[in-house]
Amino acid sequence: MAVTADDVLEIIAAEAKLDRAALKPDATLTDLAISSLDVVSVVFELEDRFGLDIEPETIEPTFTIAEFVDHVVSLSNT
Amino acid sequence: MSRKVVITGMGCVSGLGIGVAPTWQRSIAGESAIRPLDRPPIAGPAAWVDPDALAQAAARLDLKRMGKLDPLSLFALVAAAEAVDMAGLAGHPALATRTAILLGCGSPGNATLDAAFERLYARGLGKLHPQTIPSSMMSAPASHLAMLLGVHGPTMALSSACASSANALGEALHMIRAGRVDVAVAGGSEACIAYGSWVAWQALGVVAPDTCRPFSRDRKGLALGEGAALLVLESEEHALARGAPILGELAGYGASSDAADMTAPDQAGVEGAIRAAFDDAALAPETPALISTHGTGTKLNDATEAAAIRAVHGAGLHASTVIATKSAHGHLIGGSGALEFLIGMKALAEGIAPPVLNHLGPDPDSDLPLALEAGPIAHDILVSNSFAFGGLNAVLIGRKRT
Repeated sequence: MAVTADDVLEIIAAEAKLDRAALKPDATLTDLAISSLDVVSVVFELEDRFGLDIEPETIEPTFTIAEFVDHVVSLSNT
Repeated sequence: MSRKVVITGMGCVSGLGIGVAPTWQRSIAGESAIRPLDRPPIAGPAAWVDPDALAQAAARLDLKRMGKLDPLSLFALVAAAEAVDMAGLAGHPALATRTAILLGCGSPGNATLDAAFERLYARGLGKLHPQTIPSSMMSAPASHLAMLLGVHGPTMALSSACASSANALGEALHMIRAGRVDVAVAGGSEACIAYGSWVAWQALGVVAPDTCRPFSRDRKGLALGEGAALLVLESEEHALARGAPILGELAGYGASSDAADMTAPDQAGVEGAIRAAFDDAALAPETPALISTHGTGTKLNDATEAAAIRAVHGAGLHASTVIATKSAHGHLIGGSGALEFLIGMKALAEGIAPPVLNHLGPDPDSDLPLALEAGPIAHDILVSNSFAFGGLNAVLIGRKRT
């Protein structure tokens, strides 16, 4: 199942307990205080719902929201 | 000269509602939270917490950085926030440096473990949620409370099955007396109405098919409940210095171990804990009191507890009043002792005994002066009993603030 940018944003907001509005495309994970535990939880939900295989270590704290979303969407399209 | 320890805040979550006010109102109105639960595959009578009301209360708290929260943590967080607000301690510097957190839990986050194992065994999936361990571990709610309140002092979970939260309050009392801290946020939480835990309790043969009828003839066992109760304990000196509301005193604590049987209670062990609590409070066991029983509604517990109470309180029993609030809020296992102590202290302060519910008539083996109707009382002393599986006993003595 293909994952959309909207799906990724929804899961980040839910797992990191943030408002969707706070997820500005150019904000980094560090800016938003999204912890490594939040990231592994986001990855778990994405893998579980969309059958993806994502290495959590490939997602750097310096990633922006836009980079995170693009990274996941590109994995889903390969 | 030991330090007096007073209660300056209380908070609770149970099937009776969210918060001390609705819990007390429903207790004296004689309402029971034990009602049919239809949460497939779980079905049967239980005192469950309304999930929508819980979510609403939790939404008012800052739960960021805490990760996935099992109901075990949510119950504790909501109850602790109420207690600390009532005590006027929110943001107080004493929380950071001079406060302990002691939380009694009989079991870890059952819902989280159930969800994980269902993936493994039922669905054959190899991966589990990465937060399975930090969300379900028994000390998770203690850590979550520390994060919510900014507590950097000694923080831990304490487990002694159905006596866990009574032990937590008692040990906190002694930490304050010893001067290790000035404040303790103590009590307990339990979230045992998850499928695995539910079926395991049924298998033990102690769960009633109908409801909880403490000390009644034809009683058939306990009714499971869930929730949390937390109290703010404080040295009297500390509470007076900051002009805190003083709701009562935690005056004594006795604990014992039967060292005899994993499920059957032992009268000598039970008596030992009650006597130790009176000694600790420097009171004679014949002092007339409001006695909040463990009163599970099982055949064996109630008969043994009644015999122990008659033996210890002796001539003072006829002038005492006996209550059994599990008939209203069900058995919160690790959370029971704190919730019962909280309701008992409220009863002392208000001068009203909440009624024992679902009573069908006296049973000669558990004859006690029960409050079968809500009625006025004029006791200054509360004795709150908790007797756990595995023979672990804890008794708290509270004193009315006059």
